[in-house]
Amino acid sequence: MWIILLLISSFYDYFNGILVERFHGTWKAKLFLVLSVVGNLGILLAYKYGGFIWENIDWMLKNFNDWFNMSLVTPFEKPTNTLPIGISFYTFQTISYVVDVYRGDTKAQRNPLNFLMFVSLFHQLVAGPIVRYVTIADQIENRRVDWNLISSGVGRFCFGLFKKVVVANIASELVDKYMIYTYHGDGNFDLSSYEAWFGIVMFSVQIYFDFSGYSDMAIGLGRMFGFKYDENFKHPYAAQSVADFYRRWHISLGTFLRDYVYFPLGGGRKNRYRNIIIVWILTGFWHGASWNFVLWGLYFGCFMVLEKLLENVLKKTPRIIRHAYTLILIVFSRALFYFDSLYLSNTHFENSDFKHESDWSPLFGFMGNLFNSPNAVNPAFYGDLMMHLYFFILVILLCIPWDEIFTEENRFRLKVERIFYFAQPAVNFALLAIATTLLVNATHNPFIYFRF
Amino acid sequence: MMNLINSLVFFASISSMVVMYFLIGENRSDIEFHNGNAYLTEEKRKLTVMPPFTFEDYISGDWAKTFDLFVNDNFPSRVSFMEWSVELRKLRGIEVENQEKIVYIKPKNKNLPKFDDQGNPIKFLDDYDESYSGGLLIINGRVYPRSGGSTKMAANFARMVSEYAAQLEGEVRVLTAVPPLSSAFIPAEEYRHYNSQNQQSLEAIRKNLTNGAIFCDVFTELNNHAGEQLYFGTDHHWKPIGAYYAYVAFCKGAGFTPVPLEKMEKRTKTNFLGTMYQLTQDPSVKKNPDVMDYYIPKVKTDALRYSEFGFKGVAAKVFEHGCSGGTTYSTFLGGDRPLMKISTDVKNGRKALVIKNSMGNAFSVYLISHYEELWIVDLRYSKQNMIEIIRTNNINDLIFAPGMNHVMNPNTVNMMRRLGTQSGVYIPPKPSPIVDSTAVIPDTVP
Repeated sequence: MWIILLLISSFYDYFNGILVERFHGTWKAKLFLVLSVVGNLGILLAYKYGGFIWENIDWMLKNFNDWFNMSLVTPFEKPTNTLPIGISFYTFQTISYVVDVYRGDTKAQRNPLNFLMFVSLFHQLVAGPIVRYVTIADQIENRRVDWNLISSGVGRFCFGLFKKVVVANIASELVDKYMIYTYHGDGNFDLSSYEAWFGIVMFSVQIYFDFSGYSDMAIGLGRMFGFKYDENFKHPYAAQSVADFYRRWHISLGTFLRDYVYFPLGGGRKNRYRNIIIVWILTGFWHGASWNFVLWGLYFGCFMVLEKLLENVLKKTPRIIRHAYTLILIVFSRALFYFDSLYLSNTHFENSDFKHESDWSPLFGFMGNLFNSPNAVNPAFYGDLMMHLYFFILVILLCIPWDEIFTEENRFRLKVERIFYFAQPAVNFALLAIATTLLVNATHNPFIYFRF
Repeated sequence: MMNLINSLVFFASISSMVVMYFLIGENRSDIEFHNGNAYLTEEKRKLTVMPPFTFEDYISGDWAKTFDLFVNDNFPSRVSFMEWSVELRKLRGIEVENQEKIVYIKPKNKNLPKFDDQGNPIKFLDDYDESYSGGLLIINGRVYPRSGGSTKMAANFARMVSEYAAQLEGEVRVLTAVPPLSSAFIPAEEYRHYNSQNQQSLEAIRKNLTNGAIFCDVFTELNNHAGEQLYFGTDHHWKPIGAYYAYVAFCKGAGFTPVPLEKMEKRTKTNFLGTMYQLTQDPSVKKNPDVMDYYIPKVKTDALRYSEFGFKGVAAKVFEHGCSGGTTYSTFLGGDRPLMKISTDVKNGRKALVIKNSMGNAFSVYLISHYEELWIVDLRYSKQNMIEIIRTNNINDLIFAPGMNHVMNPNTVNMMRRLGTQSGVYIPPKPSPIVDSTAVIPDTVP
């Protein structure tokens, strides 16, 4: 069914693109542009945010009824559909296509199959990056596949797979262990506050390697088929500020909102702070139908505004402090991201009110478990730290922006690249073998960004 | 040139896995067959077979899900890959010998059965699902649940038992013999709080039992022998010696004289790696396989087992001595049967019905010394109406002996409650036995 939705969406924008081009410069072009944007956002609202809208209307009506002694009911049934595959990504891709045609940045695609291919490219359909039509317009028509491109795709794919299976999955085990606690209804917790914060740090590791691993695999697969997608990550955990972080994290979403929302709103020239807040609320909302995500967006929006206001202070602050400040803010934001509900109690396990919960309480010691959990400072926690020591070192090494430290002309870098050129078959084979070994008997490893 | 080699190595690696599947797929050392079904020996679960292709399953996604499991179960050299995986995972850091560890086992959504409009379970659990989910603690190669029970849930369980006691007042004695979790007996001092938590949870049962239901103090009896290995280190069950002490506690509650161990026949099984090893896959646990000494009361028995609907009784054994390796614990009753009836040569006219999960298997076998007839109901599988069985067969004692995990779970407590109201097919008191010559290994591999 979701494939039919994708087909409908594709052909809708295929015709909109042609019509916008045909009526270029007239009010009709604007009409078809508006139709395209409204149609795509309508699909998103209906299939991604329908349940959320229903819940909020229902909540408001219930309160309204209580206050005014009325009996209003929500005018439509609560949607219960699952999230259509890749909807957050392909709707944005098709919007960008029609807008670019309207702006005259690209020509409309005449071949419907080519357009369908652009929308449904399986490499990145499910979890991005958001590929803009202008980026690959030429490659759709005249792409050339050679061994150099395939080889670089193979390397990128193997590295992405390694990031997902080795780094993200191991971090995910630690997240499960330190973010979900067992509460038996009578005060018996098995998670202390600092353990929970360790869990959040591990979630920060997981989400980065999971998402960037997927992006690497998408970029790698794209190259194997002759497509060159833009980078989606540039060592975000090396950022010196929140603004810098979002120039390095999920770049395709950031640039999309910058080009299609922030600049049209006036950018930095007019109502800059309002524009920043709007863009960040939208960024949060894009991630999911929950107020938590809106809060998450607002959180970053406020810090972006603060950073603009205190630009001079930030510039004079030592690098290490800026880096630490950024990392602390990001790790804290992951708590908002992890718990996709504002409620304190978020039971993980359906049909049981007593087991496997995950919520905010352990993080802030709300239940008296800040330092006095029965298992606080337990040897098993230190054992876990030791048992993952090399893993932590690997994570740090992979987070360091080596390509920024050693520029392209650097001799050492050139030497390493030369060695890697000859070693790449062995290295890639090793990465693939390690990932395969760890994947056997570990079915269903969903990527976090699948749910967006 | 290197780019060409790089690409070819990659595609050759991917292709070789498909080729290997056809070369190696036929001869597998990691599966065994029982009753026509293939089981993964180490993991004690059915091997996933290739799903038949139907358009409906394909559209719903079920076909792809099962195919995913099929590929996983039939991956070439799967066992070797899993062994390599354990070795690779050691490279995560420094593993100190006998280091204490915590492993988190994700709860499975399918863990709990769904119920139809009449309240009947649609899908039965298999025993593998019974194993613990949540935090597991590994100390010196032994695995313990990271939990001490729940007084709230224990009280909930006691209320359910008391309801039966009220319903059967004057007809049947109702007794409980619930064991603590193995976490109660972790030798390390820093985990002593689990001991008191377990005790408090079980005390909550005592405090909340009403209508004459009898509480058998299993905790105290086991705690008196806390220095012994009462539970398996590699499995979620208890050892027969632990079950024996529970039996002693039961006898105290029921007014019986327990049979001393010396008057039973002792046998031993070695190299048992149970569910906790399967869940954690921890090398230190693998290095410490369990030894199981078990004791056979000198009582002659005839046993029948029934399917969940109980149409026909099939000859069964109280002890399946052939069970070994991963199925060692199935020695008792041959694993989990929905319903079992054991007739003994103890001609005292007493009859009992035991409600249990697999923890009760090792416990129930000691009861044959005290009853002429013993009915054993697995709370998860039986669809029989328990009250009907009790009244038709003039049962004297109703014994609740589920593991703590099922006491702590409101769903399984409700399943026990439902046993008294559900309407399965009635079993005649003396069905004619049908000998099942293939019944060496149980249908449900525990």
